[in-house]
Formats: sequence, C-alpha cells, structure tokens
Amino acid sequence: MSLYFLVMIISNISLKNFRNHTDTHVSFKDGINLITGPNGVGKTNLVDAIHYLCMSKSFVTASDSYVVKQGESSFEIHANIAGSLRQPFNLSCIWNRGEGKKFFVNDSPLDKLSDLIGTVPVVVLCPEDKKITNEGPAERRAFLDAMISQYSKNYLADLIDYRKILRQRNSLLSSGNTRNIFAMIEAWDHQLAGPTARIVAKRHRVLLDFATHLEDNYAQISNIRLKPTFEYKTFCEPTDEEEAIKSAFLKKLEENREKEMERQLTLVGPHRDELVFLLDGMEIRKFGSQGQHRLFALALKMSQLTWYYDIMDDLPIFLLDDVFGDLDPQKIQVLTNFLNNHDGQTFITSANISPFNGLIDFNSDKNQSLSVSAGPEISGSSN
Amino acid sequence: MQITSETLERAIEELAKLPGMGRKTAQRLAMHLLKREKAEVHRLADAIKDLKEKILYCESCFNVTDHSPCSICRSPKRDQSVICVVEDTRDVYVIEKTGEFRGMYHVLGGVISPLDSIGPDDVRIKELVSRVNKQDAPVQEIILALNPDAEGEATSFYINKLLKPFDVRITRIAHGIPMGTELEFIDEATLSRAFNGRNTF
Repeated sequence: MSLYFLVMIISNISLKNFRNHTDTHVSFKDGINLITGPNGVGKTNLVDAIHYLCMSKSFVTASDSYVVKQGESSFEIHANIAGSLRQPFNLSCIWNRGEGKKFFVNDSPLDKLSDLIGTVPVVVLCPEDKKITNEGPAERRAFLDAMISQYSKNYLADLIDYRKILRQRNSLLSSGNTRNIFAMIEAWDHQLAGPTARIVAKRHRVLLDFATHLEDNYAQISNIRLKPTFEYKTFCEPTDEEEAIKSAFLKKLEENREKEMERQLTLVGPHRDELVFLLDGMEIRKFGSQGQHRLFALALKMSQLTWYYDIMDDLPIFLLDDVFGDLDPQKIQVLTNFLNNHDGQTFITSANISPFNGLIDFNSDKNQSLSVSAGPEISGSSN
Repeated sequence: MQITSETLERAIEELAKLPGMGRKTAQRLAMHLLKREKAEVHRLADAIKDLKEKILYCESCFNVTDHSPCSICRSPKRDQSVICVVEDTRDVYVIEKTGEFRGMYHVLGGVISPLDSIGPDDVRIKELVSRVNKQDAPVQEIILALNPDAEGEATSFYINKLLKPFDVRITRIAHGIPMGTELEFIDEATLSRAFNGRNTF
C-alpha cells in the first residue's frame, strides 16, 4: 500500500577512463541494483561515477587527478535519467586535464557547477560516514551543507556568496593596514550579515524537521532504546528570524573586533557552527563506541533520505557502498527492509550476494544483481 | 619554424596580447595590415597612439576625455546637483546611451577588494567626498550605480557611511528583473531582490 512516489531513475550509465573503467556501459533497474564482485575490481568506482555525476565530485577521493584512469588525460560519464518533473534527459560530465570538468544536460553545457547540485538528488552511505560523528565540526557542517544544498539552490548560493565575502574579509584583516581595516571592516560585516542570517535560519529550520527523522530511524536500526539528539550551536540562540540573527551577528563582530584584528581572521559566523550529536544526552564524539558511531552514521543517512521524501519532488538516488559487511544479521534485516520499502532507485556494492539471500528478491522486475569481474567486465545475473 | 621577419613577428606578438585575440587571429590581422595602404595603417597607428597621448582623465569626474573638464562636466544643460557614482568609464557609456540621466558622473576607477589589494585609497572616493564638500555648487543627490556583487555593495556601503554627515540624499539604482524576460527564467537571488525592492503600484 505504498503511496505513489515520484522517483528519479538512472536508466543507464557509460564511463570512459573513469578510475579503472576504460569503457563501461551498464543498464540499471528502477529498484535495487546490487553490484557484487571481488575486492578492487571497480564496484565502488561504478557507484562513485553516479555520485560524481550528481554532486560534481567523487565521494572516494578529493582530487580529480585521481579520478581519471592512470595514464589518461580525460574522462567521461554519460547517463540517461528519468524523473517525474521533466522529460527523460541525459546528463554528462567531461573532464580534461588542464580544462577541468564540464557538465551537460541534453548536450548543452551548465554555466556553473552549482547549477548541477540538486538536479539528480543523491544520498550516499559509505564506511567513511563514521567521520561525521567521529571527527571535527567541519565534517558535520559538510554533511549538513551537502544535505541542504541538494534541496535548496538558494542555500547553496548563499554558501558560495558567504565563502567569497569571508575570503575578502579575512584578506582585509590580514592586510596589516590598520587604517583600512578600521575604515572598511564594517562594510564587509554588513556584506557577510545577509548570507549569514539566511544560512543560520535555514540550518535551524531544517534541523528542527530533521530531529524527528533521526529519532525514528535510530530507533529502527538500533533495538537498544537510546535517544539520539543534537544541539545546533551558533554565535546566537538559533532561530529562523533572519533580522534577529543579523543584528546578533553584527553585535558579535563588534565584540570580537580586537580579537579578530589580532588573529587576522573572521572568528564569528556559520563557518564556525557546531552540531553536537548526543545519545541519551552523552556526546557521541567523546563517548561513542565504534558500533555506536557506525549506527549513528547509518541513522543520519537514512534520515537524510526520509527527510528528502517529505520535501522533494522526486525521490533521490540511494548509494550504499560496502556497508553490509560490517553489520550483524539483525541490522542487515532492518536495512534491507528499509530498502525494500524505499520506492526510489538504490545501488548497493558488496563482495557477494549472500547477505541478501532471502531478504531482497533479485528476480523481481524492479531489482537486479550485477557482478563485476576483472577487466572490468559487468554481467547481469538477474532474470 | 624559421622566422623571416622579426618585424612581422613583433607585430603579431603585440596584437596577440589584446583581449579576445588568439595567435591565429593576430597573424591574420598582421597580414591584413601588411597589405593595406600606408596612409590607412598610419591612421590606425596614430589613433592607437593618441589613446595614450591625447586622452586625459577629467579633473572633476575622472571619465576619459580629450579636454578636461569633460564635455559632460562643462555642459550647462546638465544638472550639477546630482552625481551618479560608477565603477568604470564603460558604465558612463552605458548609462549615457539610455538618455535618461541628465546629471553628472563620478568614475571610481574600480571597487574595493582586499583580495586584489584594492583599498579605499586606490579608488577615487576621496575625490568624490571633496566634490560633495565643495561649497560653491551644492550637491543634492548621490546615485550609487555600482555592480550588485559583494565588492560593489561593500564599496557602496563605505561611500554611504562617508557621505552620511553631509546634507545630501544618497540613493542607489534598483536591482531586479530585466526587461523582456519572463519570471520563470529569473534566478532566485534576483527574484528575492526584486521582491525586497518592490514599489507601490
């Protein structure tokens, strides 16, 4: 009795010189696509190509020069995509050493990389997710920013503006020209205040909604009754009143004037926000066990997905890279249940199919199991 | 490649430095010039030379001119009490083409940008303040017509702050929807701006 959902579907993808794929073409099913094969044959690279096409970057490596196949000077990704809001379209990425990357929708180039984000929404679950709760605040801001940016183009535009103005302001603070700093700092304060207010208000509003999703999903995945919560900490009491944030921000900058001059750096603003995750009131970063970090990350990504259900026109694409190997049978059952109920398209990489036996039906019309062998060669084993 | 004429090579190199000019185009232009009448080529060369030798910056508004003060600043038909502040000479040309504005200009020659080491003293803001401060011809309105990006806005903010103590009205041009476009094609940032700047019908 599932509700009628509108879904984003990648029908097929072609890779040229992307990581270890010289020339790979694969067709996908609308439901769950399982990709199995031995370690190191290129399973992750296949889902990474999907991520690259949606988010303009790899989730595995930070540098594009590691994305291109060794010894080659360019790579390409092409995909046919169907959504509910528009006619099926093709999305391509072409990267050249020297020129960098360019994205095309139906062969016409996108002016800005930021135009791409949100075109095909994607949620990725991978072993590196532990960093979100384990490491510094930058990881949590990155998670939050990527999550909101795919849904709100305005938010992404504000983030880009904010970073640009921040660079100007920091450059002024480190110029050593005290007279200029005194004359100009206020002008940059006010430039920064607009995007700051909108970013903080948006983070606050999104997190209010996100809280219930996190609680529900954590309860599902862990059968131990611990309550996950978080605290959003910024320079003022979080609110969605933009004018209030603006004046609080300008006041804080005033108060920190001397300190900022001394440190030659902007010390107040959303670039220093912190999101503290707690389990039953205990900060998970300090007290969480390995297993708790893993479950928390899993719940965060499931919540990103269920939050998107509520607010997006099309269900996003869900990528699960190498996460089933680490989970006990009970968690596998909960997660496969979640996937079976998920009406969007899913991609899973796993060394073998055995964890899914009896849990996911790869003979149904919606699902398929593909295996990758050295080459890489891809062959279907469904139907 | 063997170069048979250093002179030709030098001309190509110089032409290739111009904006929007590749080496191929520069070559074609140099070859073309080589074939033209001597007088014609001299006229071009003189015109280029005069750009540097005859063109001055107006002592009052800092627009380019052959005679300072420039024809706009000297014109008795223009309203001396309104000054439109722009970043560049290019902007004066664009605004003049509208025929809408009948006041004076002030060309800053850039906007403040710490990343490019451009501070308030590197653009002509002091000169603007002294124009406003002059007692003989009172300025009533300053129109800020800088680009609506962070640098333009920060510069406008700073100028506004400096001119506040004077008895002068400070305005800025409206930002919003371009003529002849449809709402659905406008980006969100422009549209939000247009909403904030709405006026009574």
